[in-house]
Amino acid sequence: MKVFFKIALVFAVMLSFAHAEAVETLNGAGATFPYPVYSAWAFDYSKVTGVQLNYQSIGSGGGIRQITERTVDFGASDAPLKAEQLLKDKLLQFPAVIGGVVPVANLENVNPGELKFDPDTLCKIYLGEIKTWNDNRITKLNPGLKLPSTDITVVYRSDGSGTTAIFTNYLSEVCPAWKEKVGAGTAVKFPVGIGGKGNEGVANYVKRTKGGFGYVEFAYAKQNKLDHVQMKNKAGHFVQPSFESFEDAAATADFDAKKDFYLWLVNAPGKNSWPIAGATFILLAKEKTDSNKKVVTFFDWSFKNGDKKATELVYVPLPKSLKDKIRGYWKANRLQ
Amino acid sequence: MARTVKKNPVDLVFSSVTAIASFTVILFIIGILYVLMKESSLAIKQFGVFRFLTSTDWNPVTESFGALTNIYGTAVTTILSLVMAVPIAIGIAVFVTEVSPNYLKGPISIAIELLAAIPSIIYGMWGLFTLSPIMGDYIEPFLKKTLGTIPLVNFLFQGTPMGIDLLTASVILSIMIIPFTASIARDSFNLTPDVVKESAYALGSTHWEVIKDVVLPYSKLGVFGGVVLSLGRAIGETMAVAFVLGNNHRITSSLLDAAATITVTLANEFAEADKDVYMSSLFYLALVLFVMSFITLAIAKYFLVKAERKYSR
Amino acid sequence: MLTIEKRRKLEGFLALLFSTLAAALGLFWLVFILGDVLIHGVGALNLGLFVNDPSPPGVEGGGLRNAFIGQFIITLFGTVIGVPIGVLGGTFLAEYARGRNISRIISILADIMVSVPSIVIGTFVYAILVRPVGHFNGWAGSVALAIIMIPVVLRTTENMLSLVPWTLREAAFALGAPYYKVIVQVVYRGAATGILTGILLSIARVAGETAPLLFTAFNNSFFTLNMNQPMSSLTVTIFQYAMGPYDSWHSQAWAAAFVITIFILLLTITGRLIIKWRYK
Repeated sequence: MKVFFKIALVFAVMLSFAHAEAVETLNGAGATFPYPVYSAWAFDYSKVTGVQLNYQSIGSGGGIRQITERTVDFGASDAPLKAEQLLKDKLLQFPAVIGGVVPVANLENVNPGELKFDPDTLCKIYLGEIKTWNDNRITKLNPGLKLPSTDITVVYRSDGSGTTAIFTNYLSEVCPAWKEKVGAGTAVKFPVGIGGKGNEGVANYVKRTKGGFGYVEFAYAKQNKLDHVQMKNKAGHFVQPSFESFEDAAATADFDAKKDFYLWLVNAPGKNSWPIAGATFILLAKEKTDSNKKVVTFFDWSFKNGDKKATELVYVPLPKSLKDKIRGYWKANRLQ
Repeated sequence: MARTVKKNPVDLVFSSVTAIASFTVILFIIGILYVLMKESSLAIKQFGVFRFLTSTDWNPVTESFGALTNIYGTAVTTILSLVMAVPIAIGIAVFVTEVSPNYLKGPISIAIELLAAIPSIIYGMWGLFTLSPIMGDYIEPFLKKTLGTIPLVNFLFQGTPMGIDLLTASVILSIMIIPFTASIARDSFNLTPDVVKESAYALGSTHWEVIKDVVLPYSKLGVFGGVVLSLGRAIGETMAVAFVLGNNHRITSSLLDAAATITVTLANEFAEADKDVYMSSLFYLALVLFVMSFITLAIAKYFLVKAERKYSR
Repeated sequence: MLTIEKRRKLEGFLALLFSTLAAALGLFWLVFILGDVLIHGVGALNLGLFVNDPSPPGVEGGGLRNAFIGQFIITLFGTVIGVPIGVLGGTFLAEYARGRNISRIISILADIMVSVPSIVIGTFVYAILVRPVGHFNGWAGSVALAIIMIPVVLRTTENMLSLVPWTLREAAFALGAPYYKVIVQVVYRGAATGILTGILLSIARVAGETAPLLFTAFNNSFFTLNMNQPMSSLTVTIFQYAMGPYDSWHSQAWAAAFVITIFILLLTITGRLIIKWRYK
């Protein structure tokens, strides 16, 4: 037993000096949604430069808290912060990658992409006012489809998530009744339906339930081959969720560097824009200029070299015009 | 008997060090209580005690928090798992002490102990990937078709069978607590004096009658303590249920619906909480959980100590 | 109509049949769970798992070296902090405070602490060691595990020391040895195997803990030996990977589950065998 403790003691001494190691590390924390793409970028980046970027996916709320308390080099959040709050906490903010939310259904005889929805119908379903698939508010939009009289089983995310934040912001934007009764946030009190944990939980529920209807991230809708729907966008067109329609949303949306890019990318005005999209954001502490420069170098590198990887993982890279705006923002804040 | 005079200075130091070490246990209990109360003071101020415990509202948007949905989930999963586990555990204990041939006693005891040693995260993962599809595809639809049509119990089997729900979580919990209950029951059974059993046999009792009328009554205190101890364990179990309960803050009568327990809510939302009240409410939940399990365990301990006294008489 | 005699026999038969079935059911669950972990886990095992760090989803060849080492370090320091306190505390109860009320009270409280929900201990350590420091760190994880370990070790030590015959101590007293010398040189020696077994079993108990590490050691996608940084552990990684969307994550989670289960079961069996061999 004594020997054991001696060995342990030696270990302890060794380890307490171990952090003098030469590896350069950047610490980031926040949203879970972009975790795979950030870690993929970090993986490639460390191979090229030797700089390790340790990104911990603790959730958007945690990311905001950690950067506000200055315990990480950057925070990440699916929910953008307003300029006032950024000013108050002395933070900088820019978007890094685009994600989208796609409503999915489980209906026999209906193929992916066939079902059409408009904002009002979507909202009424989630408010519990439309209860069956053959409700005439749905059939009116889908004259060619034979919809069953099955109940609609609404599925939502039961854990706090950026996906829910994007989805509920969209509903709040297009549907006053939703805004008033439920509101928007990473976790809200849904009036009807069952909760699934994580995207896979929601996807699972929808897959298993006849007449199930939920919302998942684009990647999941693609991977799980669920029946995604077409949405009527702000310009009045029905669009399919796709890389193109997400990029269109990001390109036509009015991201403003002066407002630190504060924008919910929902209901974008473009003709081909997918209406339920969202950017995920990076938060920096204004006074940490040294580490900020390193973080910015990383994202600059990723913007140049990471698009392919992002697409592989079914994330939507930022359009070029937006990347240029961000680079301008970095310059203006003397980070590049 | 250990009243030696501590003349030696080293002895004084050594005894003080050991005393301090043993007092850490008390320190931790008081420390946990104090820290949790301090951290949850914001939520306590805002929601009070009674309102927090009876409110079903768990709404991060409006920043209004109540614990009832969590307490409900904890209560249902715990009770249901006990209902499933206790008869089996006692059955196992009877088998090991009375029925099994001698060469099987050791291996079965070890097997049951291994069941207790499997980490809860493994139970959870197995539950998610293996048990939950089985429950959702076969067992729950079957229950819904049969029990779900019987009046009086049908309200328990409404909704769509998913496999991620109260029932699946309870099944996993029951598997986890079987070994605890079984091993305490076995130890209690073993304490029944052979003389008493033999006298019963001599009166012509069958094997089962000896167990039922002699062993069980004799050891009921210990068995009861074991059951309450398992209850305490089940209340605090986190990972095994976190995978299969769905974190749904709503009270439903159906066992086929997702729910949330206190532990699951903590595991899912603690790192995600952004606002102070949210965070404080989670600490408040932890405090409620601590008090609940502490009381349960204290009751269990009371019965076990009482049982021990009785047997050692 | 059955005679009373037959009814009694039948009832007895059914009851004993039920108990046999119950035992079979217990075995069934064990085989089911272990078999499942074995089947999924062995298939996903490879050398790269132990020597590589995680690669992002979509990149082949990632491993869990960070989690294996992290788990080892966190558990090691949990043990280094928890065991001495537990052993010394148990010594106080069994020796200096033997038979006194305080000893009984602490024993009972320790028994309760053993079963206190580990997630509560996680939140407690978060409040005292993570928030003040400002970030998740490996030490917090070790402390959380130590807090779980202390009451376990304390109680086993107390029990094992009590098994050492009092006469042995008296013999040493008679030689004029002070109490601490008697404890260290005589009593500890007599109870060494038992205490060591208790420590083994307590390591088995905490090595599989997840809940107390969630908000303390947290997780780290890179390999680190720095206890002041967030540190990866197998259990938290399993939680993250199993809940995640990628198939490669799932199979790595199974492999990790397999390794940790085997490790813990071996520890447990070793502990049990020692007890059996030594005390029966």
